[in-house]
Amino acid sequence: MSIEVKNLVKAFGEKKVIDDVSFKVNDGEILAIVGFSGSGKSTILKLISNLIEKDSGEIITSGGDIAFVFQYSALFDSLTVYDNIAFALHERRDLRKKYTEKQIREIVAEKLALVGLKGIENLYPSELSGGMQKRVSFARAIVTGPKVILYDEPTAGLDPIASTLIEDYILRLRNETGATSIVVTHQMSTIKRTADKVIMLYDGKIVFSGTPEELLKMDNDYTKQFVTASIEGPMKMVGA
Amino acid sequence: MALIRHILKQTVTYKLFKSILVNLVDFMEVMGNITTGLFEVIKAFFRGELEWKELINQCERFGISSLPITLSIVGMTCVIIVSQIAQEMVKQGGGNFVGALVAVLIVRELGVIMSGFAIISMIGSSLASELATMRVTEQIDALYTLKVNPYGYLFLPRVLAGMLMMPPVVIISSLFGILAGALTSDLAAGLSYRVYFDSIWIGIFAKDMFVCLAKAVCFGAVIALISCAFGFHASGGAKGVGIATTRAVVWSFVAIVIIDMLFAIAFFF
Ligand SMILES: Nc1ncnc2c1ncn2[C@@H]1O[C@H](COP(=O)(O)OP(=O)(O)O)[C@@H](O)[C@H]1O
Ligand SMILES: [Mg+2]
Repeated sequence: MSIEVKNLVKAFGEKKVIDDVSFKVNDGEILAIVGFSGSGKSTILKLISNLIEKDSGEIITSGGDIAFVFQYSALFDSLTVYDNIAFALHERRDLRKKYTEKQIREIVAEKLALVGLKGIENLYPSELSGGMQKRVSFARAIVTGPKVILYDEPTAGLDPIASTLIEDYILRLRNETGATSIVVTHQMSTIKRTADKVIMLYDGKIVFSGTPEELLKMDNDYTKQFVTASIEGPMKMVGA
Repeated sequence: MALIRHILKQTVTYKLFKSILVNLVDFMEVMGNITTGLFEVIKAFFRGELEWKELINQCERFGISSLPITLSIVGMTCVIIVSQIAQEMVKQGGGNFVGALVAVLIVRELGVIMSGFAIISMIGSSLASELATMRVTEQIDALYTLKVNPYGYLFLPRVLAGMLMMPPVVIISSLFGILAGALTSDLAAGLSYRVYFDSIWIGIFAKDMFVCLAKAVCFGAVIALISCAFGFHASGGAKGVGIATTRAVVWSFVAIVIIDMLFAIAFFF
């Protein structure tokens, strides 16, 4: 399932956080959205998943579930890992009576295996490491077999090995489920290893759009500044 | 022009009007949030979104974990009242009516309002901070992305638990208060238990008890609803959780006093 965004605009108060943004992600592709903090990356994901309302423009997805993997995992801390992953199957009105508890147990184990975890069903989120929480939140998001997966900074704050693992799971999920994915990140490794296409946001606008290789060529002032993580350049960090 | 505007903005009148306006807008927003909460809870209830397991959890939290506090507050209130009045009443020849006075006070007002205060400070604050934490850690966004209605999943069992558990909490704490009153009048004024308990039924009627229970149901619902609404609409990190919790407690206090007053006007004026 493809995602098409046309002339998207969103303002908070006076400030246009997303200012006329258009892009398209084809079926099964992984798009990376990069840009400094506050450039509106999370806002785009929240607009696509309908958590916030757009001011104008169009977001075209052909129905089906949209999974959202939150930046800080957003696991339900009063529920066990099992209940977190099974959450949609237990609580969603249209799925509530669809599966027996035995089937749900199998689905949960299968999703956990998909993110490389096993036997932690009875633990609580607070008993897991950051990387494990991330992976559990992947498992929770994909339990209903979504055709679109949105990742908000999936590797931020993780050590390099945990990041590599997460990147592998992003690829694996795409390969096994054929889902179309958008990955918000500012980590070069994540961009290089997972993305088919990259767009770069600054001040609510797209300032670069191309492949990871093109981003690394740095033939645009913005990409140059981003890749070299330089203070000098067209992008000003406000309040950093 | 800019200078004139700048000077105007420093005047007290401008600041006063601005603060009234800001507060008014804020007030309307809060009322809107609470009303929306109420309608969404009713809608979720009739769509059969209630989960029994969660209702039982919330009932336990509301009714059982709060008992030590409600019992001590209502009990101590009775001890205070009786120790202030019992001796004097016995002296004036009104010893026969100490029990009646305590019972009337407790059943008509103190039992339910003191329990309400105790529940707000214990349960209301915890409901508000729980939902506010869920909000600022994006757990509520996660609910939406998993297509689960937060009003059905979070609000409904909590509000219903408030309505169901507040009456038993009030009954138990009122009985406890009346007992504490008996003990105190014995100790403070040497009044016999028989005299005390004989007079209890002089002043209270079925109507009093009915109104008391109706108030309890309202208080339970209102405390849970207001606390959930403030938590649900929290924003801005740990500080936002604190702000939401404080405001939930303040609004709940004011709300139950207003409701109590409305009941008093409607039934006893
Ligand atoms: N709910 C909101 N209300 C007001 N401003 C917001 C809200 N959400 C985000 N913003 C503002 O929008 C801008 C972009 O935020 P965000 O999309 O989270 O950036 P990023 O994810 O790229 O770091 C920031 O300046 C932020 O302060
Ligand atoms: Mg972000």
